[in-house]
Amino acid sequence: MEQTFIEILRRALDEELARDVSVHLLGEDVAAGGAFGVTKGLAQKHGEKRVRNTPISEAAITGLATGAALCGLRPVLEVMFIDFATLAMDCLVNQTAKYRYMSGGQLTVPLVVRTQSGAAGGAAAQHSQSLEAWFAHVPGLVVVAPATPAEAYGLLKSAIRLGEPVLYIEHKRLYTMRGTLDDAAELPAIGKARIARGGSDLTLIAYSAMVGTALAAAGQLAALGISAEVIDLRTLLPLDMETIATSVRKTHRALIAHEAVQNGGFGAEIAARIGSELFDELDAPVWRVGCPFAPIPFAPELEAALLPDAAAIVQGVQEMLGTPAQLGR
Amino acid sequence: MARVAVEIPKIGLVMEAVRVTRWLKNVGDAIRQGEPLLEVETEKSVVEIEAAVSGRLEEILTAVGAEARVGDRIAWMEAEQAPAAVAPPARSPTRAPVASPRPTGGSASVGNRIVSTPAARRLAAERGVDLRRVSGTGPGGRVQLADLANETASASAPSSTAFAAPEMTPMQRALARSMTLSNATVPQFTLERSVDGSAVQAARTAYAAANAAAPAPSMNDFLLYSLGRALTEMPAMNAIYVDQGGGGIACARGTHIGLVVAVAGGLLVPVLHDVEQLSLTELAARRRDCVERTLQGKLRSDELGGATLSLSNLGAQGPDRFAAMINPPESAILAVGRQRDCVVPRAGGLAIRPMSELTLTVDHRVANGRLAAEFLARLVQILESGDWRV
Repeated sequence: MEQTFIEILRRALDEELARDVSVHLLGEDVAAGGAFGVTKGLAQKHGEKRVRNTPISEAAITGLATGAALCGLRPVLEVMFIDFATLAMDCLVNQTAKYRYMSGGQLTVPLVVRTQSGAAGGAAAQHSQSLEAWFAHVPGLVVVAPATPAEAYGLLKSAIRLGEPVLYIEHKRLYTMRGTLDDAAELPAIGKARIARGGSDLTLIAYSAMVGTALAAAGQLAALGISAEVIDLRTLLPLDMETIATSVRKTHRALIAHEAVQNGGFGAEIAARIGSELFDELDAPVWRVGCPFAPIPFAPELEAALLPDAAAIVQGVQEMLGTPAQLGR
Repeated sequence: MARVAVEIPKIGLVMEAVRVTRWLKNVGDAIRQGEPLLEVETEKSVVEIEAAVSGRLEEILTAVGAEARVGDRIAWMEAEQAPAAVAPPARSPTRAPVASPRPTGGSASVGNRIVSTPAARRLAAERGVDLRRVSGTGPGGRVQLADLANETASASAPSSTAFAAPEMTPMQRALARSMTLSNATVPQFTLERSVDGSAVQAARTAYAAANAAAPAPSMNDFLLYSLGRALTEMPAMNAIYVDQGGGGIACARGTHIGLVVAVAGGLLVPVLHDVEQLSLTELAARRRDCVERTLQGKLRSDELGGATLSLSNLGAQGPDRFAAMINPPESAILAVGRQRDCVVPRAGGLAIRPMSELTLTVDHRVANGRLAAEFLARLVQILESGDWRV
């Protein structure tokens, strides 16, 4: 049965609530469904004790969820926009991420922070950012960013069962994407990328909504006679360098695409690691495609102009290969 | 017309110096590009050096018997056409495509540096290709992997210094360097095991009876064949240690085995490639051809590398057993003692069997004792099994 990204997330949460009584949902308005309706109906089904509304204070509720996790629950906290996670930064970075280390492993924080990022529909500069690189910089956190409804289902369940603090980043542009679940599929391992499309001439590395964009670009490149392999990272931290290395050893070229601002984005980390670990394999400079160094504008036309699309990736490939004339023909 | 220097090209990966053995052209001779100009003895074989341009040999600077380093000027030629100067690539801020191919097929360079990708440089080094002679088709004339597709080893590249040890031949020096490297940098351990040669002996006798004309596969052929199978079955042994990026293991594609061959003035280790794909008879033919050309100094440069393991057999007059030193960057070497009749227990009684002692030396970074022991046991099992693809 085909379902939307939101419906599939709801199903994953519903099943985890039913499977494990320690799983609780927390967040602003989650009992009523949350800002995007992901948790709709779950309070009625599992009770308002397990699907709890919280005050509008990301700092407080992240502390609450961290404390609950320390005491044995498996909370899933919804932070409505990743832009608001800035308010939860102190707790997430200084407390949540540090407990296991500073207690010598005596304490664990099995917490999933579901949040939502990216630009779509004129949400403007304070509700459209892609801030994953900040969190991928913190030892002690796990950062997951699914690209399809089916991936989102498995990765959310794996994240809840992982037993570590996970920042689970949904992209608002994916919420209406439809997909079908394979009930026989095993849950994906956290920290393992997948090959979304096989290819031999270059490797496109992407995550979250940019995987779909990269797949569209790969289709356009195929028409130009260039076979692109697309890697869906699924997890940014820990990074599955092995899958990247295997692919780049085959293609000798890599382009990293993300919606986040290119400057200081997570693509820089991947590019640096490819540069140092796979130097002798490279037949072209490692390339990055990301947002220009600017806030996301409100006007839909400007927003569209800023966001990297498939054409931007194709152009990036052309610049990387230095042969736009040949490709354009 | 233009005066062009003839320089000693870099032929092998580790080659630093050569000795001029013969000039094939005299001063005044007309020469076409690609024609052999002189013969030099490298550390590994005697090779011909070809003329890089067409023209006339004007002056010989290095006499027969004299030594020259890579990059040294050894002669002057009067070229028919001046070699086209290679201009630095034009780079526009928009990274425009390369407008036209370079007329002479040279690569782009910035100062003395050839603009090339890391992967292309690695492949060129592996194949002994001079990047200056390759047309770069990448941005700004950058040499890329695809540009090397049809290139084979040739021509010159500058080099560093050789050591000053005039009494040693280049081959002796190469050997000294390689063995010093082995002893100083490879943590190696040895394991021993005896092998019953009855099955091999019986197979050789049967082969000789059935094929009067063709020589029967030798003990070495059986050893190479069995090593090929054991390495293919145990890929963890078919690997070398790579000392970069904090160290790592590189697994071989295919099974390539070196064979230590004593030659006048030293030894050479030609490599038999893709051994696992050959039957015993095919392997024997390949080995005979390879050894013959090794003794004649006619090995191709691509026949001297790529092995993960070598075989050293000192023959019927050799010692009962010996341990050999690993030939870097390989990770193992099998030393085979002479075969002799020994009394061995068999089926509750005593039997006299042709026994040989095998000594396997292994790079401990690639394999531990258990893996090496399993490998050696499997090798003995194959050699004693009589189950071979003839």
